[in-house]
Amino acid sequence: MSNQKTYWKGTEQLTNDPSFVKNAEKEFPEYLPINEGKESNGSTSRRDFLKLMGFGVAAASLAACEAPVRKAIPYLNKPVDVDPGIPNYYASTYSVGGDYASIVVKTREGRPIKIEGNKNSAITQGGVNAQVEASVLSLYDQERLVGPLKEGKNTDWNTIDKEVTEQLQAISAEGGQIRIVSNTIISPSTLKAINKMAEKYGNTEHVMYDAVSQNGMLAANESMFGVKAVPSYDFSKANTIVSFGADFLGTWISPIENTKQYSKTRKVSSEDKTMSRHYQFEAYLSLTGSNADYRTTVKPSQEGLAVAALYNEVAKMTGNAPINTNKVEIANITNAARDLASNRGKSLVVAGSNDTDIQLLVNGINSMLNNYGTTIDLNQHSNARKGDDASFINFVKEANAGNIKAVIFYNANPVYDTGMGEEIKSALEKISLSVSTSDRNDETAHLVKYVAPDHHFLESWNDAEPKKGHLSLAQPTISPLFKTRQAQDSFLTWSGDKQEYYNFLRKNWEDEHFSGQEPTFDIFWDKTLYNGVFTYNVESSDIAVQNVDLSAVANRINKNYKPNNTGLEVTFYQKVSIGTGHHANNPWLQELPDPISKATWDNYATISQKMANDLGIKIFEGKTSMINLTINGKTMEVPALVQPGQAIDTIGLALGYGRNMAGKVANGVGFDVYPFLTQLNGTRSYALTSGVSVDGTAGSYQLAQTQTHQTFMGRETIIQEALLEDYKKKGWERDFQPHIETSKGKVKPSKLTLWNGHKYNNHHWGLAIDLNSCTGCAACTIACQSENNIPVVGKAEVVMRRDMQWMRVDRYYSSQQGAETSKELEVAAENPEVTFQPMMCQHCNNAPCETVCPVAATTHSSEGLNQMTYNRCVGTRYCANNCPYKVRRFNWFKYHDNSNFDKNLSMNNTLGKMVLNPDVTVRSRGVMEKCSMCVQRIQAGKLKAKKEKRELEDRDVNTACASACPSDAIIFGDLNNPNSSISKYLKLEASDSEPIKEVNNERAYHVLEELRVAPNVWYMTKIRNKDKVNTKA
Amino acid sequence: MESGKNFIVGIFDDESVLLSAVKKIRGSDVKIHECYTPYPVHGLDDELGYKRSRISIAAFMFGITGTCLAFLMMIYMMGIDWPMIIGGKDHIAIPSFIPVVFEVTVLLSALGMVATFFVISNLKPYAKPVTFDIRSTDDKHVMAIDLAKNKKSTNELSSLLKDSGAVEINEKKF
Amino acid sequence: MEVTSPVREVLVTGNKTYHDVSHDICRHVEAKPNPKWMAAMALSLGALFTGGYALAITLWDGIGMWGLNKTIGWAWDITNFVWWVGIGHAGTLISAVLLLFRQKWRTSINRAAEAMTIFAVICALLFPLIHTGRPWLSFYWFVPIPNTWGSLWVNFHSPLLWDFFAISTYFTVSLVFWFIGLIPDFATIRDRATNKISKAIYGALSFGWDGAAKTWQRYETVSLVLAGLATPLVLSVHTIVSMDFATSVIPGWHTTIFPPYFVAGAIFSGFAMVLTLMLVTRKVYNLEDYITINHIELMNIIIMITGSIVGVAYITELFMAWYSGVQYEQYAFLNRATGPYWWAYWAMMTCNVISPQLFWFKKIRTSLWATFILSIVVNIGMWFERFVIIVTSLHRDYLPSSWAMFSPTIYDMGIYLFSFGLFFTLFFSFAKFFPVINMAEIKSVLKSSSGEIENKK
Repeated sequence: MSNQKTYWKGTEQLTNDPSFVKNAEKEFPEYLPINEGKESNGSTSRRDFLKLMGFGVAAASLAACEAPVRKAIPYLNKPVDVDPGIPNYYASTYSVGGDYASIVVKTREGRPIKIEGNKNSAITQGGVNAQVEASVLSLYDQERLVGPLKEGKNTDWNTIDKEVTEQLQAISAEGGQIRIVSNTIISPSTLKAINKMAEKYGNTEHVMYDAVSQNGMLAANESMFGVKAVPSYDFSKANTIVSFGADFLGTWISPIENTKQYSKTRKVSSEDKTMSRHYQFEAYLSLTGSNADYRTTVKPSQEGLAVAALYNEVAKMTGNAPINTNKVEIANITNAARDLASNRGKSLVVAGSNDTDIQLLVNGINSMLNNYGTTIDLNQHSNARKGDDASFINFVKEANAGNIKAVIFYNANPVYDTGMGEEIKSALEKISLSVSTSDRNDETAHLVKYVAPDHHFLESWNDAEPKKGHLSLAQPTISPLFKTRQAQDSFLTWSGDKQEYYNFLRKNWEDEHFSGQEPTFDIFWDKTLYNGVFTYNVESSDIAVQNVDLSAVANRINKNYKPNNTGLEVTFYQKVSIGTGHHANNPWLQELPDPISKATWDNYATISQKMANDLGIKIFEGKTSMINLTINGKTMEVPALVQPGQAIDTIGLALGYGRNMAGKVANGVGFDVYPFLTQLNGTRSYALTSGVSVDGTAGSYQLAQTQTHQTFMGRETIIQEALLEDYKKKGWERDFQPHIETSKGKVKPSKLTLWNGHKYNNHHWGLAIDLNSCTGCAACTIACQSENNIPVVGKAEVVMRRDMQWMRVDRYYSSQQGAETSKELEVAAENPEVTFQPMMCQHCNNAPCETVCPVAATTHSSEGLNQMTYNRCVGTRYCANNCPYKVRRFNWFKYHDNSNFDKNLSMNNTLGKMVLNPDVTVRSRGVMEKCSMCVQRIQAGKLKAKKEKRELEDRDVNTACASACPSDAIIFGDLNNPNSSISKYLKLEASDSEPIKEVNNERAYHVLEELRVAPNVWYMTKIRNKDKVNTKA
Repeated sequence: MESGKNFIVGIFDDESVLLSAVKKIRGSDVKIHECYTPYPVHGLDDELGYKRSRISIAAFMFGITGTCLAFLMMIYMMGIDWPMIIGGKDHIAIPSFIPVVFEVTVLLSALGMVATFFVISNLKPYAKPVTFDIRSTDDKHVMAIDLAKNKKSTNELSSLLKDSGAVEINEKKF
Repeated sequence: MEVTSPVREVLVTGNKTYHDVSHDICRHVEAKPNPKWMAAMALSLGALFTGGYALAITLWDGIGMWGLNKTIGWAWDITNFVWWVGIGHAGTLISAVLLLFRQKWRTSINRAAEAMTIFAVICALLFPLIHTGRPWLSFYWFVPIPNTWGSLWVNFHSPLLWDFFAISTYFTVSLVFWFIGLIPDFATIRDRATNKISKAIYGALSFGWDGAAKTWQRYETVSLVLAGLATPLVLSVHTIVSMDFATSVIPGWHTTIFPPYFVAGAIFSGFAMVLTLMLVTRKVYNLEDYITINHIELMNIIIMITGSIVGVAYITELFMAWYSGVQYEQYAFLNRATGPYWWAYWAMMTCNVISPQLFWFKKIRTSLWATFILSIVVNIGMWFERFVIIVTSLHRDYLPSSWAMFSPTIYDMGIYLFSFGLFFTLFFSFAKFFPVINMAEIKSVLKSSSGEIENKK
């Protein structure tokens, strides 16, 4: 190819085959008349229709937004639906490995700049999580491959196709074995494409594995129900939830879906004062555990016995036969069993373990409780995890034995994320043809012969079936930035199929799912594309229960687990930010504070306070010590983080770090623990119960934590909590309500004032945040970062406590029982209650920051917003000092176009800058910034309503944090509008037009109410579903 | 000072002598042109019959102006020209104006007074000093008598000065 | 021989005649700089340039070079600012208040004290300017001037703006006050001057002063009124500086006792600094006859009193924190004394409350060395007072989630060093080229104080 760039819209343009040329001129528009005829059925208005049809045209024009273009090129012929300054939204699908979210992509002038949840989806229901939100930044990652590689050198697709096809043919001719290795694939059409290839060459197997495998569950379900799948759970139907080390709100299988369902059971109001009760049994303090009503620490070595104990308790209460396992002393098991038994069919037990036996017992418990068919569904089973450890391990064996001639790694990085890196390395030398479709030259890709880089998912066509019966489509939202090619297209090409994957996909859908729902398939297709999702009915057949030899299970459990193991144990966990490490090169995620430890840019060994004392480790302001950790002979120095709630004699290690070929952001961050993974019962185990030792400390280490103080010091004006049983009582009132003594007796702070205040005549924006349903998942933080162009400052600056996130989630541990003095209150309990508090600018009506700004750079809007005028700010930081909530962020340096901050990808190279939101200023050095309540979205919403000549409604405006929240814990709206959901939620007087509103929601309170800064953000008292006896004094 | 004038200059080295001398000489109705001293001699102005300086009144006037200006400025800027909602306070919130009002008052009255002083005393950079005797800024008190303004003869005056304690008597022409 | 006036010890010793006075003081201006002076000047310039580097880097890269963070927005910058402003109080106070009270002993120290005031205020002004994120704008955006952006005024609710007005007014008035006092002395130098250049320069500076009785009369009124204006001004300046903190909502800042307590502290540190400098000048220029032990003792007594006032203020704060019943207040003060910054608090307590009490002993009060050391100790203590107020209040305020620590970088320190360099460079230039003692005033008290002239007769 000539070195002068040509931007093209697919393989077919490259190959310039007639079908493309034909398509190019007749793509979509031909349906226009049909649609106009169909205008009568108002399901899709012509506007909407244009919007989605215009995509094709948009795609054509998108070349104008190609990364390296330095000048803005005016649209001489304006594409039909791309209006400069007006965003377009395209429904699409996020799927990485088995992780899934149905999304809506916001594009501006053809650039995807923001990802939101798609409310049409029955699965994610408009929720997203940090990884999904952040994935838009990876699209503009400079470290992506810009074209195919042959033995590490640039080449072109013709060469790749020619050589790969030839070699594959050669191999299949002599009957050589071919393997396609990938993570779980939930796209039916992709699987078809892969099968096409398999058929063509024969002797081809498709090996799926998952970095964090659910093989145990698959096996259990197979042997028990003959269904080798992960069931789909419905937490929303469960009154009692028991989890054994399953972090279902954070990282387990389908966290967004789980959170959506779970949070429904945690919402309480004066009308409905019921909520679920959640027991968690785990070793390290997980996001889920920190949300549990009862959390019990269980060592990995006890887990099996703990589950068995519960099994027996439940068996006793439901009149089933117990199994014979060793006794183990674990608190709350009996209570859990009692609550489960009293909620048969309305309860749920899950376990994170990858041990088939544990999963069998869990299935046993659930079936004793008749949960199948109510909270657990195997008919519409989930496809999220299909990885089969045995077959993968077998693949590695065979490969090392030299029985495999060709391997294609489809977006999989097994050298890194299986812990079998060394074996695979040696195996690859024995494999004649090795191909990877990785988007970057990662640990695996740099070892293979050919790299045929795949598109980013925002550049590709695809579909997904995360759950049987639930499909969704992914459409490109930008023309490919580089000379990459969709992997599916590669598979088709290599299997000799000329057609483009897009057509293949359509064909597949036409065959599989089009049954005359719409007059023509094209309309059906366009509608599905528009909605993003499509569901079909799955006939619910009764699952036949094969009987399992539980005594054998019991024996194995007795063998593998000990009631009181001596010596250290390790659990390997994922962080909600980095997960398995796939997103490691995403600076937003690297700098996202871990919801529990609040640490960024690192993984570390989480140890209990007891172990810290034994080792003499003191952690102060993130300054801690390295420990010499020895696992199965391998010794390494790892930083220790004292983690309240960590089971005694256990250590938690996060996966996904220590990458060295992911890119400049990820490389060298943290340490890689995959190599320590072992196997148990033929499946990979994510815990170690032996061979672990720590001998002493080795020098000091600085962790970058955004919060270094653990407890809320019993300050009830900040965190207000109550017990469900108290809350249920008639006329319940928050037990802390500040009053101020005056000559006329005690009065509420809001009643005292020197000033008359200023009425907000039109709108009055406010937020209501439910501490009860907030799980602390930090999706809001990334949503805010992406919406508001918030810079990443890097570890060194975070250590300096200069993190820039506008939206932070404060995490507080409860203090030891009966702590009185401030010194005692500073110490977190051994197994603390945890409270998450999203904290952003409170938009105080009497804002202390406004008063002190000498140049009036921060003032109050006529809609109740506290607004920053960046241009006017000279940066005295007086406002930040005087902010009781410390939510203001200062630009200590120039974070954009500054080589010292090159990890701030979104502001330091032309490619990264494409992700910036053009509606939000990139702040210069020396100015103050903070949450603006997404004022740019408010303005856009007002404009929309105005153009449509109607009153503004809730649906017109929502803040980034609120729309991202998977637990709907954040409600945004107009307090002046009595019909807005927030007014209803807070129970405002319809007549209340005062700037300082009186709320009648008995749980609502202001943080630091007694200061009378009169915030426009309300917090809802956290309710804990605990029995009184267990409450702290 | 206009030229072509004759002065008789008496030099004293002690303030008390000077004071009595001034009394004596003025007593024998002689017009004293002016006395020049290295430091402020208290009571000299009374002896010379100078009236109390009204410069403090000027200071007061300037002060009042400052007060009004400050108030007007802030009321205009915060309340009329571009009112903004700041910390929920009233646009014209007198309490928070007080400090600035005070400072502006002091500033204007001080600067105004000093300016007045410079003008009326003809003090400015490179202004030519009237030097009857160079030592008058060191350790000598100087009394100058304008011959033209007195009927008495030079000798009479010099003897008068001598009697009243002048340590030295010169004639000076301008 | 020497006659001692019954009321008080003489202010000027050593049988000085008027001419001696002019001579003793002017000779330093007229003579070649002496080696001691050269050394001192070199030292100050050294500090100025070393610190200048830190300043340059900060201006170039941004105040991220300092140790500040999202929780602690002010630390050394404003600490130094308040500290210098505090020091800048003694001068005008000595001249103005003591003039009003007709305290004649002030005459031999007020000139240098006023100079010190002005230089200290210059150093103080440096910090509010460079501590801002965008100093290239802040130096004029504080001024309520109409601008090309249309109506865009400053915020008169902001204590920081009050500060701006207070400090600039204080600076201007002090400068004028000082200059008025200098005019007659410039005239003296002018008339003594032998070479053309100094004749020209001092001729210009002396504004054509001739010492006419009429002018003297007005001069005295002007000084009196200026003193009358300056006195409340001095008090207002630190009052307003204290409002930066007192009007905020931060526990440990929001304190009504601040104004008087800051003013007392300012006088305290101001006098200490005057002493430090005067003791040096006295030695270098052999002005023992003009700055006598008597002066020093009187100054020490004032330090002792103000020190005790400050002490009382500290105790009152603690009491109010307990009495308020507000847990944040209580924690703030508990944290000061026992938290991570306990050492700063106790350094402050020792230097400011305990050490001045030594001046109860006449022996120490009248010992030059003790005075010199203690005067420095006091200023260290006062620096810590501001550090404690600013940093330990901010680092643990309301939400424990934001609690943080502050540790200075070399740039924080460098800029502090710069301010010292600036101060001493200015002061030594003053000491060389300006009459360090107000000759006219000395002469006017020469007679009344020491019966010298009378006895010559």
